[in-house]
Amino acid sequence: MRHRYCSTMPTIGQALTVEHLSKRFGKVHAVQDLSFSVEPGRVTGFLGPNGSGKTTTLRCMLGLVRPTGGAARIGGHVYRDLDHPGMIVGAALEASGFHPGRTARGHLRVISDALGLPKSRADEVLELVGLADSAGRKAGGFSLGMRQRLSLAAALVGDPGILILDEPANGLDPEGIAWLRGLLRGLAREGKTVLVSSHVLSEVQQTVDDVVIISRGSLVQAGTLAELAGNGAVRVRVRTPRREALITALQVTSDGSPPTGLDPTGPDEILVTGLTPSDIGRRAFLAGVELHELAQQTNDLESLFLELTATGTPGGTA
Amino acid sequence: MMPLLRSELRKVTTTKVLFFLTLAVVLFTALNVFLLVYLTPRAMGVENNDELLTNPEYVTNILGAAGSSSIFVLILGIVAMTGEFRHMTITSTLLVTPRRSRVLIAKGITFLAIGAVIGLIAFATAITLATLTLAGKSHAPIDTGVALQILGGVVLGFAIYAFVGVAVGALIRNQVAAVVGALIWVLIVEALLTVFVDWIGKWLPGGALDAVLQATNVSGRGGNEVLSVGAGAAVLIGYAVILGAIASTTTMRRDIT
Repeated sequence: MRHRYCSTMPTIGQALTVEHLSKRFGKVHAVQDLSFSVEPGRVTGFLGPNGSGKTTTLRCMLGLVRPTGGAARIGGHVYRDLDHPGMIVGAALEASGFHPGRTARGHLRVISDALGLPKSRADEVLELVGLADSAGRKAGGFSLGMRQRLSLAAALVGDPGILILDEPANGLDPEGIAWLRGLLRGLAREGKTVLVSSHVLSEVQQTVDDVVIISRGSLVQAGTLAELAGNGAVRVRVRTPRREALITALQVTSDGSPPTGLDPTGPDEILVTGLTPSDIGRRAFLAGVELHELAQQTNDLESLFLELTATGTPGGTA
Repeated sequence: MMPLLRSELRKVTTTKVLFFLTLAVVLFTALNVFLLVYLTPRAMGVENNDELLTNPEYVTNILGAAGSSSIFVLILGIVAMTGEFRHMTITSTLLVTPRRSRVLIAKGITFLAIGAVIGLIAFATAITLATLTLAGKSHAPIDTGVALQILGGVVLGFAIYAFVGVAVGALIRNQVAAVVGALIWVLIVEALLTVFVDWIGKWLPGGALDAVLQATNVSGRGGNEVLSVGAGAAVLIGYAVILGAIASTTTMRRDIT
């Protein structure tokens, strides 16, 4: 049966659910009892160091790898039970799945043919990813950035409601990353489900609404980016010639809760956790303690991410 | 299934391997026609070419050269299937069609058709060159009935052989191993088996193909017993189906990583 492609109405995404997913390759537990869900209308970052099981999880979702336990479902169905999966899910798994002698247009037409779409669809998606000028060139001669764009084009051929992209920013220049961010945000705004994996949080920090963080095949944290940011408490560096007096002043509880951490980091310096700079300034002023510096440490999500995922050597495959 | 077949056909027409292997078929067929018309009589010590060329059976053999390039068709099927794994295009293929046996069936059907077309091209090459090279010499006439029989055999034989190639490629996913393995089988193992175990030859893939091609003298198996065309075709299809079924339950089920 041929199905029709409708270009006027954006396809709305469905939720992705991973339930107690496990995958073992020989003795290696690549993914262990992993559960999380991905909602439509949002961009979700799937984060973890190299070898943490991200790619294996994505391949399980897409029916390419058979889980040893649990399941990954797309709108309630496993991938191979979907009627026309290419019209529901678009995936870009790696930049290497091209025949080097096939042109970009040829590669996309192989896919559009299998989906029963008109030949013109290939040129439409090439236009969308900025490869229109290279449509007739062979993929074998493409740079990594161009291959990433071609992968993305292939994922978009069926105008699917769900996009699953494995490290899509790899090999893109800063301009390309900015472009990708805009594209993904736009797709999420249309109501699509967008799952993007990365091993660098800062790469996707400005793109994602939600994060799923895994390490060594297991879930570390899942939630909104704001929740993740909230986890890292505010830290303020204070310099004062009267260190001990300041410590005493900050510990006074009469005008609020005490700081959760007070680390003397030098003879005239303390690192305060759990109080805002204005709290500290006010208390120092009331106690008559002279301050030379009052600096909030940037709330560094990247180092928080590294802390969360630093649990020894990776145990899985990439 | 139609979109899938169109996609499989597109895969073949967007790369060069089909063109080059078809070219190889044409050149090899031409070489064999020339050998049979010009060189073989001299090599056989026949003083006058006409002695052989006036023999109707020998003229039939010249047309049978169309079937001599079957190995390229087998390799085409192998390269097409293993190429999916070599270039990892199997990932995007399976994303669109997650039921892997459907992919295998679609590719098998596509290469049945492609094999048939190459068979047609091989026959056209053979009959054109035979007509041109025999002109002006005294020779037995080309019998239309025999020619049509050879045409049918080459088209059917090449079609099934390409299909066998796809099945072999599904079972042995490493391209080099599959191509080299097939060559060793066809050129060495099967030839030796046929020589040492009389009755087995006609049941092996190459023997079954010879039955379909009805050209035993061309492939150097002169004198060996072959099956009927229908039985040969059935045996050859049987090999493809069995290899494909084994692949479906083993290699094609593996994780794509």
